[in-house]
Amino acid sequence: MSDVGKNIIRARENGAKVVGCFPLYPPLELLHSFGLIPLVLWDLKEQVHTLKESDRHLQPFTCSVARRITEFVLSTEGSLFDGFLMYNACDTLRNMPEIITRGLEERGLSRPFLKFHVPMTPARQTDSTGYFAGRIRELIIEIENAFGVRFSSERFLASVRLYNAIKKLSLEMENLVAEGRMSYGDFSLLIGKGFFMTPEDYLSALDGAAEKAKSNPAKNISGGRKIIVSGILPPPDALCSIIENAGLRVVGNDVASQARSYAYVPREVGDPVSYYTDFYRNHHPCTTLLYSSDERLTLLTGLIEKKNAQGLIFIGEKFCEYEYLEMPFIMKTLKQKYIAMLQLEIATDDHEHVEAFRTRIEAFSELIG
Amino acid sequence: MAEEKDKTKGFMKSESGRRLTQILTKDYLDLHQRAGEGAFVVWVAIIVPAELFYGFDNVVFAVPESHAALSAAKGVGMLQCEKAEHNGYSMDICSYARIDIGTAMSGGQDSPTFGLPRPHLLVSNNNNCSLLVKWFDVYHREWNVPHFILDIPFCYEMQKETDLKYIVTQFHDLIRTIETLSGQKFNIDKVQEALRNSSGAAKQYKRFIDCAVHRPSGITAFDSFVQMAPLLTSRGRPEIVDHFRKLAEETEEKIRSGEFPLPEERYRLFWDSIAPWHQLRKMSSRLADLHANIIAASYTSCLGSIEGSYEFIQEYENGNPLESLARMQNFSVCPYGMELRFKAMSWAARHYGIDGFVFASNRSCKVYSVMQMDLQKRISEELKIPSVMIDVDHADVRKYSEENAFLRMEALLENIDAGRARPII
Ligand code: SF4
Ligand code: SF4
Repeated sequence: MSDVGKNIIRARENGAKVVGCFPLYPPLELLHSFGLIPLVLWDLKEQVHTLKESDRHLQPFTCSVARRITEFVLSTEGSLFDGFLMYNACDTLRNMPEIITRGLEERGLSRPFLKFHVPMTPARQTDSTGYFAGRIRELIIEIENAFGVRFSSERFLASVRLYNAIKKLSLEMENLVAEGRMSYGDFSLLIGKGFFMTPEDYLSALDGAAEKAKSNPAKNISGGRKIIVSGILPPPDALCSIIENAGLRVVGNDVASQARSYAYVPREVGDPVSYYTDFYRNHHPCTTLLYSSDERLTLLTGLIEKKNAQGLIFIGEKFCEYEYLEMPFIMKTLKQKYIAMLQLEIATDDHEHVEAFRTRIEAFSELIG
Repeated sequence: MAEEKDKTKGFMKSESGRRLTQILTKDYLDLHQRAGEGAFVVWVAIIVPAELFYGFDNVVFAVPESHAALSAAKGVGMLQCEKAEHNGYSMDICSYARIDIGTAMSGGQDSPTFGLPRPHLLVSNNNNCSLLVKWFDVYHREWNVPHFILDIPFCYEMQKETDLKYIVTQFHDLIRTIETLSGQKFNIDKVQEALRNSSGAAKQYKRFIDCAVHRPSGITAFDSFVQMAPLLTSRGRPEIVDHFRKLAEETEEKIRSGEFPLPEERYRLFWDSIAPWHQLRKMSSRLADLHANIIAASYTSCLGSIEGSYEFIQEYENGNPLESLARMQNFSVCPYGMELRFKAMSWAARHYGIDGFVFASNRSCKVYSVMQMDLQKRISEELKIPSVMIDVDHADVRKYSEENAFLRMEALLENIDAGRARPII
């Protein structure tokens, strides 16, 4: 059994209710404030090694994220969840609540599956705050009914503080990576593991890692070939090593499961409506938050300038049409600004075959060197 | 004019077919002409309530998805896809999007309609598919054209009142946006009139697709694939009501006089996907040789329906047009979930006496395809109707193998025969 499976079992033995959430930006603080343990089901490559269950429900032209979530949840480990929460994202994921519910029912399991709509209208176009407030209030009632729990504003504020502390520490660690005190590969591994820990455990793991990194000497502060990494998922671990061994240093990222998740730290308030209005409206731009993706290019160019990066590596997710449709314009614009780019595409089973990318990465490193 | 049987089987040429060509040709010519004369041009996704634009004196709309379908049916789909791919757009993107991007990037070259006039505003929505928002974002960024995103909550259950109100608010914002950008004043009465016309056309269209109830069927789904175009591109106009009334009358008359696309029909099939635009004649003709007729499709349930329904439900006479348009936001099958699609398909299976289902798994269209494996299981377990899954890209012929598809469809027919031979216990 994977670490995740063990974590879930341990938590449940202690009486906790575990809620599997996706995609990446669910209202974790809210779930946590009810005494539930929310786990973001993302980047499951370490946990999922076959796609037997997923292949019974999803065609092979769906992205690795959707296939692994399905596999994980429908495997024995996944059935240990007490419930699920999903908010609207892409055309693939919106089918998942019914597919997963049906898959669990085939196993004789019935679990609440909460669905939550985040408005996708740009603020300059439509004022969706009233509608959104209604959705948050509705969600609170649904959580209360599904798990037999009661909302408390004080507990919510405490949860907000906890998650904000994680965000702040993640940002700090990103800088330690940029300074060369910690490898990007180790950083990615830690952030990935964090999805399957309780926030309390995660915060202490981050704290420990940050302390250790601070005592490491800073490498190549003035030299080294600085790059930014962008994509839905971070590069697979082996690819991180190839990137770093090629003399490239990741000085910043625009990865959905990394910077996009922790870069914006909302104001700490005890009212979920105000908190999540701020959280989603001012979120770090992401291709999945339709109203924000205009900002992505501005953000990327700003990040490149701020971090003094010499190039950018895009980690494309095979079959992610969102990224596919954004990328050509971004590439074109960055090219006009003479920013070197390398676009890689990772498919579900590419994690074992990343060696194929080595030559391209080494050539890229030489190009910007 | 006398009827002539087309060279290929399973497809009838009719007076209404000729009228359809005239309507579409005139529509595209008018669109270019009015745009050239200074009309405010809006590009819309098919679900966007185009009736709203009739509330303005000089606003015209174009539907890139319909243009892409037409391009694929006219055999230039692959060519336009390749142009998009050369510009960096992945071959795994929806083929409608690639056709449209390819067309736009080559200034309308090779398009059967000389492309579409440049828009002043793009209006997309995210319930039919959210890929479309990204697709329109391409033009928004490349051409610096404003993009209005209608955020329509996906339906796992029947549309909620709160969602309907949220949609109406966005319609008001859209109207205001057009007023500001075009300098024109909005008149809701004209929208009411357009909505009555759309509703009337949809009612007549449903009468036409209901000709499939007869045995043998009075139509093939391929007829309905072709005929549904004006429901999307010419919505709101009175002549469309007239066209669909004549189409229904003509088809009913043929049934009365014993004329059928496939008189020797042995298998009545249901199609779950977008039309295979590059295969319309080939597929219908080859199926006809096997005495099989795809008589109905989830794709053509279309305007007049709501989530979970195949039948005509949304008749508009009076009332608040914006609320009525908001209620219609789930008329195609993509904006709602598996439970509701199963409900609509179960109704259709009973209503049309379906012998078998063809699930066309389409890697181009995730919204249509991703639930199909479970849907197929439900159809066979709960409705006890045999089915098959084939791979078809609706507009990119490179991702389709005729032999593989027919191998499976022939197996489906054998399966139906085997079921018929089995004694009923
Ligand atoms: S990677 Fe892309 S396609 Fe996959 S779940 Fe995320 S947004 Fe959807
Ligand atoms: S993905 Fe499907 S629904 Fe969306 S535009 Fe393409 S064909 Fe249409």
